[in-house]
Amino acid sequence: MTTNSSPADTATAAHTENVTKVYGAGDTLVTALDNVSVSFERSKFTAIMGPSGSGKSTLMHCVAGLDTINSGRIFIGDVDLSGLNDKQLTRLRRDTIGFVFQSFNLVPTLTALENITLPMDLAGRAPDQEWLDTIVSTVGLGDRLSHRPSELSGGQQQRVAVARALASQPAIIFADEPTGNLDSRSGSEILQFMRMAVDKFAQTIVMVTHDPLAASYADRVVFLVDGALVDELQSPTADSVIDRMKRFGA
Amino acid sequence: MLKVTLRGLMAHKVRLIATALSVLLGVAFMSGTQVLTSSISASFDKVFSDVYASIDVVVRSNNKVETPFGSQRTRISESVLPTVTGVPGVEAAEGQVVGQIKVLDKDNKPLVAAQGPPNFGLNWLTSPSLNGWKVVDGVAPTQSSDILLDAKTAKDGHYAVGDTVNVSVTKGVQSFTLVGIAKFGKLDTWGGAQAALFTTPTIQALVGEPGMYDWISIAGKDGESQQQLANTVAKVIPPGTEAITGKEFTAESQDAFQKIIGIFSTFLLVFALIALFVGSFIIYNTFSIIVAQRTKELALLRALGASRGQILRSIILEAFFVGLIASIIGVGCGVLLAIGLNKLMQTIGFSGPDTPIVIPPVAVVVSLLVGTLITLVSAVFPARRAATVPPIAAMRDVAVDRTGTSKRRVVAGLVLLAAGAFMLWYGLNGNSDSGLQIIGGGAFFVFISLTVIGPVIATPFASVLGWPLQKASRITGRLARENAMRNPRRTSTTASALMIGIGLVGFIAVTAQSIKASTVDAINQSVTGQYVVTTEGFGSTALPQTMAADLNAVSGVQVASGISGTFGDVMGRSKVLLAVDPTSITQVIKFTDVQGSFSSLGIGQIAASEQLAKDKHLALGQIIDAKFLQGGPTNLVLSSIYKTEFPTQGSGWIISTDQFNAVVPPAQQTYSAIYVKLKDASSAGVNAALPGLKAVTDTVPGAKLQNLTEYKKAQTDQVNQFLQIVYVLLALALIIAIVGVVNTLLLSVYERTRELGLLRAVGMSRRQVRSTIRLESVIISLMGTLIGLVIGIVFGWALVTALADQGITSFAIPWTQLVIIVIIAIVAGVGAALYPARRAARLDVLRAISSD
Repeated sequence: MTTNSSPADTATAAHTENVTKVYGAGDTLVTALDNVSVSFERSKFTAIMGPSGSGKSTLMHCVAGLDTINSGRIFIGDVDLSGLNDKQLTRLRRDTIGFVFQSFNLVPTLTALENITLPMDLAGRAPDQEWLDTIVSTVGLGDRLSHRPSELSGGQQQRVAVARALASQPAIIFADEPTGNLDSRSGSEILQFMRMAVDKFAQTIVMVTHDPLAASYADRVVFLVDGALVDELQSPTADSVIDRMKRFGA
Repeated sequence: MLKVTLRGLMAHKVRLIATALSVLLGVAFMSGTQVLTSSISASFDKVFSDVYASIDVVVRSNNKVETPFGSQRTRISESVLPTVTGVPGVEAAEGQVVGQIKVLDKDNKPLVAAQGPPNFGLNWLTSPSLNGWKVVDGVAPTQSSDILLDAKTAKDGHYAVGDTVNVSVTKGVQSFTLVGIAKFGKLDTWGGAQAALFTTPTIQALVGEPGMYDWISIAGKDGESQQQLANTVAKVIPPGTEAITGKEFTAESQDAFQKIIGIFSTFLLVFALIALFVGSFIIYNTFSIIVAQRTKELALLRALGASRGQILRSIILEAFFVGLIASIIGVGCGVLLAIGLNKLMQTIGFSGPDTPIVIPPVAVVVSLLVGTLITLVSAVFPARRAATVPPIAAMRDVAVDRTGTSKRRVVAGLVLLAAGAFMLWYGLNGNSDSGLQIIGGGAFFVFISLTVIGPVIATPFASVLGWPLQKASRITGRLARENAMRNPRRTSTTASALMIGIGLVGFIAVTAQSIKASTVDAINQSVTGQYVVTTEGFGSTALPQTMAADLNAVSGVQVASGISGTFGDVMGRSKVLLAVDPTSITQVIKFTDVQGSFSSLGIGQIAASEQLAKDKHLALGQIIDAKFLQGGPTNLVLSSIYKTEFPTQGSGWIISTDQFNAVVPPAQQTYSAIYVKLKDASSAGVNAALPGLKAVTDTVPGAKLQNLTEYKKAQTDQVNQFLQIVYVLLALALIIAIVGVVNTLLLSVYERTRELGLLRAVGMSRRQVRSTIRLESVIISLMGTLIGLVIGIVFGWALVTALADQGITSFAIPWTQLVIIVIIAIVAGVGAALYPARRAARLDVLRAISSD
């Protein structure tokens, strides 16, 4: 847990075993996740797809240790999340998980560069300067690094968010509809940037999306319907994803 | 639109708690003190009407001297009594003698502390129609050695009929035999006061003059009005006396007491208004933040067709409801507070026997009005801002605080500051009668001006204050500093509330310290003796003049000289005059002659201080018209203009003790302090003389022998006592200010839910979240405290400078106290952040980040 990289003998960056999560009780009982077992491979870009209310965001939140489950087990690397308290979960998030959200990704009072190094600052540890330089040059913000988020465009902000997720070299990065609030050009820039992070830097990314085009950037797509894992697709294209979606009536 | 308002009110009720609380506290304080003082006043009204109930007409002297405690009158001769008794319609007439007398406990200590209820010695009236006392044990006093006590005093002193009771008066301690215990009507006390009753000649000898009454009480026969009887009596009484009805007599006593209560009541009201003023900042801030947070909702309403006026009215109406409801609860709490305080005062024996709570309608209406109006006025600016929200804002992201370093703001602030400073200067230096109001107004403007400039200086200030925090605690310090800087208006308004409270505390602390330092300086420079005898008593219960002679006789004493004080009309105005023995006093206190000779001041002469002579353009040899209790109008020749550093100078008029004894009744011929100079001031000399000094002072209960160090401490302790009372009264304003800090932090936490969620998601620990909020709170608190202290010191300096000719010559800053205030501010800042920090740390990360 104290090191950033997971042991080499684990093939997956994260996996779940028979995870079930329900909301409410009695008549209002909703099964958000129904016996889900899925694994996310190391150094791969995986997309989670499904119609609204399919439980794709819930799955991501649970795997990232943000939400609790009713039964089953979740592993980040070989660490079982069910045994961790809030303090340990916080540390796990800080040291081994990166996040990219749909909106409100950056702390408005910090500059772009400060936002990138935020997780390391919170941990009180110095960033790996060489890696940071690599990330920063890849983000391509140049002199805008010292600007506050309010002075950046939506696409630029989201690139900073991805850079922040990458900066601490986490074992896995979760992205929740990262292009949801962006126009298509900025959106594809972000997706290319994430694709490159996987190809060039061997990062592991799990992305929740409902956009087939976004999913086409992934190595693999898993489909969720009514909380259950129903299908998956390797090396997807936008068309093949749409085809598959139609089958589930989405 | 009313529906929207009410729904909004319900939706934001949690956010409005602080607003309601600050209004509530201020209104409760205001109404509570008014109810309490009215109740005390009413209860004393009743006491006076009970005590004087049997009196139909009073005959008394018409020579009087005004004092702040009512008028004092010359006594009248016993020879008037037979004249009055013979008047048709008079049922009974008796002379009344009243004076101060201290009943001692069995250890010869006064039963009633100096700050406690008054203690009276009275003559026992023999006619049943005039005497309200009912003997419950023993008999009435008939012999010169007899004493009768009220039931409470007897109980407090554990005295039973037959015991020996010691009392202390001008002539020293005297012993009497307790022959009776009495109740006044049904009550254990004489309207809460301690009473000891004697035969008429005995009490005349103790506190009055033989053959003299304070007044003559007359009970009329049935069937004639008080006025008719008074008119008849007036025709037969000698010149120099007057007859008034019992009703008028009672009303005079009631009025005199109400004047004192009135001063007390106004004093408390000032602090209630300060608390409400501080509270107005909280209200302003809350509404500003709510408006900012509701920008989208308001814009939506505008987009749907609501007019600016409707939005404005909606917010104002919301403020009205909050203000009114909080004020109503506040008045309720105030009444409860008054009841509680009243009970407390009864237990410590300060108030009347059974003070019913009187709720004056005026106080209720005024409290409600003030509470509601302050809420409305404070909400006007936020409401106007709400009304200017453009419909397009509904489509935009959350508005940010655009208050920057606008030139208009700076100019307006500086103009206000200049106006405030001018009013302060004018109030302090002008000789206007309403100086105090002008100074208060000036202080108000200075506070407002700093609030206007506040947002401009908040950012650099928070930046500077936050800098060391950032160095010390890295990212949490950095975030806290940025958060304090991001909403300059919010930060500065929150800090302003604290600034006012701390500013006043600092001002009082600096002024008090300067007064203390000046007093000590003055004593050091003027008193050349080694010992001072002081007393808690005054008038007939102060130090007997014989004590000075006794002290002079102690071996080792070079000189002992006493000082007295009395009220008298000088040049038509009621003044306090000091009386000294000029030849001996100049050996223990330094007096410098400016003109004439102070040490030869004698009968028929008066001395004036240099300042007084300058102010009134007095010339040596001038006739000064004066009027005292005895002897009526007296012409005194100004024979000395003096200068001294001595701190207790009264109004600057000084007469000789001989002159004092000629114009003051014998029972009042006492010293308020005696200064002693030893032949040998070395410790050997002091040790040799001390037992002799003690032996003399021990004979007078309440007399305190103090060396100069103790004397100086006692003088400064008086200032400290006053300081403590003011601090307690200012505490409410500070509490409200802290509520404001809690409120702002809570609202900010609420507003930054998403941001905090993000920070938690990327790995901020709960501890770090708490630390960030806490540091932000400390920055705000320190900002308010430091600016407040600077203002306090400047105000203090201004006042001390203006009072230089009143003997406040040193300007001193109580650094230790100020450091303690800063430390308290930091602690309070941390304390204020407790709940908001916990709220922030408990935040559900998932809900915070899930996009709605």
